[in-house]
Amino acid sequence: MSYLDSKIPPLREHRHPETSLAHGSEYGGRRSRGECPVMSRADRSFTQGSICPLLPALGIMTSLPDTVVLLHGSVGCGTCAAGNNVNVRAGRAQRGGAPSDAVWVSTSLGEMNVINGGDAKLREAIVEADRRYSPKVILAVSGCLPGVIGDDIDAAAEAVKGQVRARILPVHCEGFKSRFMATAYDVIYHAVGRGLMPAPESAPPRDPRAVNVMNVGSMGLADERELSRILESVGLKANFFPVFSDPDSFPRAASAALSVSVCPTHDDYFLGHLEEKYGVPRVIRHMPIGIGNTSSWLADVGEALGLGAEARAAAAREEEALREALSGYLPLFAGKRAFISAGEYRSLATASLLKELGFKVCGIRSFHFDSFAETELGKLSGDGEAFVFNVANVQPFEEANLLRRLRPDLFLGHMHGNSTASRLGIPCQVIYNTGYGYLGYRGAWDLARRLARKLSRPGLYRRLGRFGRLPYRESWYSQEPFSRIRAGEGEA
Amino acid sequence: MKRPFVERPRWSCALGGALSAAGNIPRTVPVLHAGPGCAGNFAWTASGSSALQVTGQCLALSVPSSNLQESEVVFGGLDRLREEILESFEIMDGDLYFVLTGCLPEVIGDDAAQLAEELSTRERPVLHASTPGFLGDSYLGYGEVLRALAEKGVRRRRTRKDLANVWGVPPGLDPFWRGNLEGIRELLGLLGLEANVIFGPGAGADAVRKAGAAAVNVIVSGLYGTQAAGAFKALHGIPFVEAPLPYGAAASERFLKIVGRAFRLSSSKVRRAVEAAGRAHYAALEPLIDVLTDMETQRHAAIIGDANHAPALAAFVQEELGWSPELTVIVNGLEEEGKQALRAHWARTGTPAPENLVYASDASAILEAARAVWADSDRPYRDPKRPAFVAGSSLDRALAAELGAAHLSVSYPVSNRAILTRGYTGFSGGLALAEDLVSACIAGR
Repeated sequence: MSYLDSKIPPLREHRHPETSLAHGSEYGGRRSRGECPVMSRADRSFTQGSICPLLPALGIMTSLPDTVVLLHGSVGCGTCAAGNNVNVRAGRAQRGGAPSDAVWVSTSLGEMNVINGGDAKLREAIVEADRRYSPKVILAVSGCLPGVIGDDIDAAAEAVKGQVRARILPVHCEGFKSRFMATAYDVIYHAVGRGLMPAPESAPPRDPRAVNVMNVGSMGLADERELSRILESVGLKANFFPVFSDPDSFPRAASAALSVSVCPTHDDYFLGHLEEKYGVPRVIRHMPIGIGNTSSWLADVGEALGLGAEARAAAAREEEALREALSGYLPLFAGKRAFISAGEYRSLATASLLKELGFKVCGIRSFHFDSFAETELGKLSGDGEAFVFNVANVQPFEEANLLRRLRPDLFLGHMHGNSTASRLGIPCQVIYNTGYGYLGYRGAWDLARRLARKLSRPGLYRRLGRFGRLPYRESWYSQEPFSRIRAGEGEA
Repeated sequence: MKRPFVERPRWSCALGGALSAAGNIPRTVPVLHAGPGCAGNFAWTASGSSALQVTGQCLALSVPSSNLQESEVVFGGLDRLREEILESFEIMDGDLYFVLTGCLPEVIGDDAAQLAEELSTRERPVLHASTPGFLGDSYLGYGEVLRALAEKGVRRRRTRKDLANVWGVPPGLDPFWRGNLEGIRELLGLLGLEANVIFGPGAGADAVRKAGAAAVNVIVSGLYGTQAAGAFKALHGIPFVEAPLPYGAAASERFLKIVGRAFRLSSSKVRRAVEAAGRAHYAALEPLIDVLTDMETQRHAAIIGDANHAPALAAFVQEELGWSPELTVIVNGLEEEGKQALRAHWARTGTPAPENLVYASDASAILEAARAVWADSDRPYRDPKRPAFVAGSSLDRALAAELGAAHLSVSYPVSNRAILTRGYTGFSGGLALAEDLVSACIAGR
């Protein structure tokens, strides 16, 4: 039986029990080479606030046109859609539309709903959302509260199905149920797979030139254009899903010749489903961040579709042009020490790119770690240069301690993850913010260009470093940075 | 009719309001007892709502949080919370620790209040506020933080006759909160009084201690902080006075007179202060006086904001700029009791009651109300109520586009302005508001 046959998607902790949130060690040096250093159930005795699966899921959901995101929970649950909306407006404008607001609404459960249940309110809300907005899709999303009080969003959706024109997709985002925000991706693709995909017999005819590319929430139009360009260089065309995709367009995913992953930990659930159910083969290995990575990514696509020679030739052409363009920046980058903090794959792939640009990578923090990333981590141990490898669902206190010890010349962090390093006076470059180029050859160039700008004009960070403050006791910095990590039950 | 949902909520939950309040008290460390995503949710909410103010000293993803998981939801989360608080003492630098409980622990019945009390010492107080999202919105959370301060955080000290605690400006929910508090400080200074604002960088490290020495609590709201003011009075004998949120010169005058009476200052002293400030204010406005007339900057305005901002803005555009507030929308979902409290507040403070007042928060409902005002207005020999202006939130840009109106984001959520010190209270705040509104009218110049 497929996962998709069940109403409720599996949790990452069940599907990938090796997934870890807490780890810290030196990695990549001669002694530790080749070991995968991760304890799966380790956690922390002190934790700072983080994010739950609802948050990345909302980034995807709010971008869908003609869709109402119906948040079932307390009124605060998902108000971060206001932040996502900034991306939605920009993304719609870039794609040629007007910068219009996403539609999100909240059932705003109150005390009486906690006592009596919120199912009735959800049913009414679905009907009213359909009446008021006439959307193609209503995403009925459960936050923590329905999960504790025992509401059944699937039953509510089923009960009112006949009264509405929109398709209703239940989305399970009870934040306390999974420790891993990566569960968000599975939750979304579970809903898409069950609600927006056709029966195999009514799938559109195979398109031998089409390649499915899952656009992770952080990819802006610049990244999409670059991956399109790369695929077109060997005569292929990209089908981008799911961010900003029309709900009616998803069946096209079943007709592609191939699916290629941009971020394995993000994509594997849905690409597996496309292969199992519609016979679309998949390639899940490299993230196209970095020069070598992009060429490997393209080569994999080429091999899978019998275009291996063309892909290798195209990659060689691209690499030559790019390396020539980059040569002017290399003296500025040579030997500078960089520290990276971001999502699992992104942090590791970006480290590969930085090494290609001549930086020394002194530390990497990944928001989680699972078996997908072993290959990517392995790529970083080849040169015998050690770096600190830290797995943390953000946890800036650990980062502050590490940064005070390592004193890197440059910090690259996820959006909303650069303030700790900034206040320590380290020049910071955001490496996950929709709209900027990061992927492919052009992305490598664009990041290098921005890094040069950052490093040659560090004024803001110099001033912040002199006067900025962090909220930690001075005594914390004399303790071991990973002293709050403890082994999980049954682990040494 | 009770609507089954709130469209694009213009507030977050009680926990969110409590976090931006507690997290902005100097030297205070909030400790969330909540699900793992609440902190991130509030950070991203702020980035799209609070005029780009996301980080803060102990906010965003720096805030300690028990990050409850399924096992705690099943077996109880108090052990995890105890560990989190004890570790916070070790790692987070602060003088006051503020435990805030969200939905999960409140449903499963964790007694965080008792634990906070057990771990609290005189040197290192631990307070607790119960702020699950299902109990209410961010305004409630702000009020609960104030109430916890009143009940457990503040000790009565010898009264300083010139000291006023200032409440009613919820951090974050009022994107202009820092500047607005500073504008109020400036006004109190005109009367020789000192403001203790409790929140924000201007509050000073001893703000909570000082709160027990105030002679009067000044609440610049008819709703926010009024309950806590009652608790303050009952527990510490500190009386409170409701004053208007003083946007601009006319409201500042009302504010000064009300506060002067509450502090029993001689009316001639207050009158002199008002006269001097008024003369200086209109002298400062002089360079724009030509344009205000020549460019016909009078506008027909739709004013949209919370129960604090909307009436203050409506009064300002009318009294200070001679605009016509055709429609005022208060976005809070108030029951009749709350609406009555507001009307009483306007009457008590001399604030002009908004003329065409609607209570609505859904953009689609606001659009409906606006269409009723501006319907058919372009037919010949009708009063078209143009040029129109929308002073509201960033979510009201679609309305402005439909009306062909200029727009300025002046109430939550604000996603398209970066605000640090700007505020609209006091005489100088009134000048800033005039600058911003007129600038929005001539953006294409």
